[in-house]
Amino acid sequence: MNIRLARIDDLTGMQATNLINLPENYNLKFWMYHLLTWPQISFVAEDEKGRIVGYVLAKMYDTDDGAEPSETHGHVNSISVLRTYRRLGIAKRLMLLSQEAMSTVYKATFVSLHVRKSNKAAIGLYRDTLGFEVAKVEKKYYGDGEDALSMRLRLDH
Amino acid sequence: MSKLQLAKRALPSKEGTLFKDVLTLYETRQLKKGLKTADQILKKFPEHGETMCMKGLILVHMGRREEGMDLVKKGVRLDLTSHICWHVFGLIQKGEKNYEEALKSYMQALRFDKENMNILRDAASLQSQLRLYDGLVETRHTLARCRPVLRANWIALSVAYHLNGNLEEAKKVLEHYEDSLKNVPDYDVEHSETTMYHVKVLEDIGDYAEALAFLDVNSKSRVIVDKTGVMETRARLLSKLKSDEAEHAWRVLIDHNPDCTDYYNGYLTSQNISSDDAALLVLKEISSQIPRANAPRRLALAYSSGDQFRELAKEYLTSALVKGVPSLFADIKSLYENQARLESIQSILEQLLAEHTPASSSPTEPTTYLWILYFQAQHFSHLSQYDKALEVLERAITHTPTLPELYTCKGRVLKRAGDPYGAARALEEARRLDGQDRFLNTKCAKYHLRAGLINEAYHFFGLFTKKDAASPSADLEDMQSLLYLIEDADAQRRLGKLNLALKKYAVINKVFDEIEDDQYDFHGYSMRKFTVNIYLNLLTWEDNLRSHPVYVKAALSASQIFVALHDDPSIVKRFTSSEPLTSAEKKAQKKAKKAAHKKEEDKKPAAPTSTNEDKGLEIPNADDDPDGLKLLGCSDPLERAAKFLHPLTTLASKNIDVWIAVYDVAIRRKKYLQAVRALAHARELDADYPELHVRLAHLRKTVTSLPQVPPAPIGEVFTSTVSALLPDEVTLETFNSQYLQRHSSSPLAIFAAARVLKTLDGPLEEVDNTIFSTLGPDVKLTLKSARTMLDYLVQLGSLRVEEYRTSCDQRFPLATVFKTAEEQASLMKETVEMPIASPKDEVEI
Repeated sequence: MNIRLARIDDLTGMQATNLINLPENYNLKFWMYHLLTWPQISFVAEDEKGRIVGYVLAKMYDTDDGAEPSETHGHVNSISVLRTYRRLGIAKRLMLLSQEAMSTVYKATFVSLHVRKSNKAAIGLYRDTLGFEVAKVEKKYYGDGEDALSMRLRLDH
Repeated sequence: MSKLQLAKRALPSKEGTLFKDVLTLYETRQLKKGLKTADQILKKFPEHGETMCMKGLILVHMGRREEGMDLVKKGVRLDLTSHICWHVFGLIQKGEKNYEEALKSYMQALRFDKENMNILRDAASLQSQLRLYDGLVETRHTLARCRPVLRANWIALSVAYHLNGNLEEAKKVLEHYEDSLKNVPDYDVEHSETTMYHVKVLEDIGDYAEALAFLDVNSKSRVIVDKTGVMETRARLLSKLKSDEAEHAWRVLIDHNPDCTDYYNGYLTSQNISSDDAALLVLKEISSQIPRANAPRRLALAYSSGDQFRELAKEYLTSALVKGVPSLFADIKSLYENQARLESIQSILEQLLAEHTPASSSPTEPTTYLWILYFQAQHFSHLSQYDKALEVLERAITHTPTLPELYTCKGRVLKRAGDPYGAARALEEARRLDGQDRFLNTKCAKYHLRAGLINEAYHFFGLFTKKDAASPSADLEDMQSLLYLIEDADAQRRLGKLNLALKKYAVINKVFDEIEDDQYDFHGYSMRKFTVNIYLNLLTWEDNLRSHPVYVKAALSASQIFVALHDDPSIVKRFTSSEPLTSAEKKAQKKAKKAAHKKEEDKKPAAPTSTNEDKGLEIPNADDDPDGLKLLGCSDPLERAAKFLHPLTTLASKNIDVWIAVYDVAIRRKKYLQAVRALAHARELDADYPELHVRLAHLRKTVTSLPQVPPAPIGEVFTSTVSALLPDEVTLETFNSQYLQRHSSSPLAIFAAARVLKTLDGPLEEVDNTIFSTLGPDVKLTLKSARTMLDYLVQLGSLRVEEYRTSCDQRFPLATVFKTAEEQASLMKETVEMPIASPKDEVEI
């Protein structure tokens, strides 16, 4: 099992993994757009045969999006690991690699993400393992009406 | 340009102003107003080509495509030297994804307005899309010359040279560009990426030392902000230079990300390690330094043997089993290729079971025992000992009935053992244990497709697809789910629903068309964002796009169906007969009618008082063949098959099935040279391939029945290739019996020989006997090949079908695919009607 920077030829695999695991899905151009705009901050986990078993898809918010220059921050758009590859700490490693790249390359001051209010396992990872804090609750954020926790982690350089 | 032409284009000041308005109104998409204004001009000047073109463009945007297009064509004809007319024409062609024609129009436009930035930029994107790099260099040159202030123009020019194979010029442009830069802000990511691109150019030229020096200078000065990128590039360049420093560079990377196996491989290679023992020492050293890292411990297993392997494997397995890592078996599975290692692991497994079985004296974590059983079940399944695997799983399920993994494993075992219905039921049990988990849902749906339970599969998919989508299928198609599409297509095919199968294979083709199209916007975008290196990777990936396994499968399956349709056009009639529809089919038909009706409504021309709604320039996705019946009854099945297969001849040229498929299509299209060349390719890959054997016989038969030898210049090459494939003096009977003798233990080879025997008009009894020889003790009959054999006997109308079926049923006791049709129907029913266990009930085992 190998954890490394996401490449173009990983895109269809990332999309496929996302479709298998999560109800929030995107067309391939969306995935392309992320890698071609911020190529340093998305990562994948692959098995021996090169199949994508986990990924993190990240983007940056900067002054172009109306953020203050001192508030350049990273955002995790989607992260998922196949059920069959859990308990290996893959999600944690993917997050740490992405956060570090956001900080080093883009001088991100913090990283944000959304998580389902009911997703105890994910909240545990973000809050307890990685140190995220809840910034606010976004009501009915998800397509099925569930609330999201908007979480943030401050990054040091 | 003649005075007359000029005179026709020029408008008096009133209309001239109106025309400027039209352009502005179009740009701001005020379509209604734009249309009105254009009509005002045309009232007075009905032959003003440019206005006509603008009106046509506006009409297309409003959804009146045909009308608009006609008008544009008229307008162009009326003013052949107007850059506006050609530009408009090109825009519309581009919207239709007709890139070749669009480029021609743009080139025409440029003849009459050489430095129009808009046209030049679009032309550059088109040239990139079409991989016309000579033209691209010229266009980028013009753009850079006209607007040197725009930094992206220089990068784009460099990239154009690079793509066109002129690395030296690419380098020069970059150097010139960098010299011209003033006041570059600190930590500028765009400049960092540009610099990394420059390093790549130097690396591609082969100047590794220069690349490294340039990298180091810019890394130290913090121009390059991508630290990991720098480290990786350093290590790679140092390795290419065979430098002593490479070792350290890779080690730094390992420290940065100890989970990246690529780094370990780089590290080991850089040290010129010649023996497994040496590699093992290195890996052990790293493990002790980074104890939490999994990678070096796993890699060590591949470099060790004997007692050392046992020790390391025991430790590796134990820690993973205590932790409860579901992927452990998948992780170490590749080690089984080595028999000694397999046996080691087997005995470790037995040891661990003895140590951790609850009944034994030492108290132990119940979950460890569970995960050992789970591992052992996969172990037995891998060795095709399915009954043992199932027995272990039953023990595990008794121990812990609520772990979904046990049921997914059971499903996989039953699938491999030939019981798709039991497999589907197992997956349904798994799914129920965690209804919120889409992974389990997807697997459950997939297993139902494999069992031919298509509607049930759709129901499962529907639990997670968008509620406002037309259907679960529609949503999955929309989201480009290749996994879903290929499974559904194959399932329809197995059920004989060739129309629906073809339809889904066509959708897969469409998805790949979409993906190919997706790159278009990035030709300009990536230059503006300066993310050049990854853009170049995008182009390479797109060039190889159709090597994707799903595309290959779809192309091969679809072309097989198309060939069958060509050989037997009566197949189509079966699908258009008035058979009573099932209630599900009636529902689907009703829905399709509704959707088609809705599309018709949408197509109706906009009423004069319609809104300004901009439908854009792209052709809307109208599905006029929801059941695939039109496709099934198409008049050109072979041409469609050829088109589908074509990319594979370069992108999947090592896949022998591709060449077999190419032959099947080419020979029927009477493209004799292409056909024999395909077989020659196949022969190079595997001269004994059973399907090749069948085609060689087919070729001989075709050749002998040809009225004349193909004419020059094909004739000679054709004849000599044929002789090389199958010497003229060898009779087909001899050829076939020799093949059978050589491969008497291979069921597929026997199958091939039987089919050839049939084409030689061998007696049915003899063909039967040949097939039946696959039941012999020396033949390695697999479940899959047994099914193929059985299907063939049925197709032949053999009198011994029952005999073969019952033999297979006995030989593969866990399989249900050899049961009678009635038994299978009842198993299907049982699977569909699986009772929902109430929370109070025990889960049925």
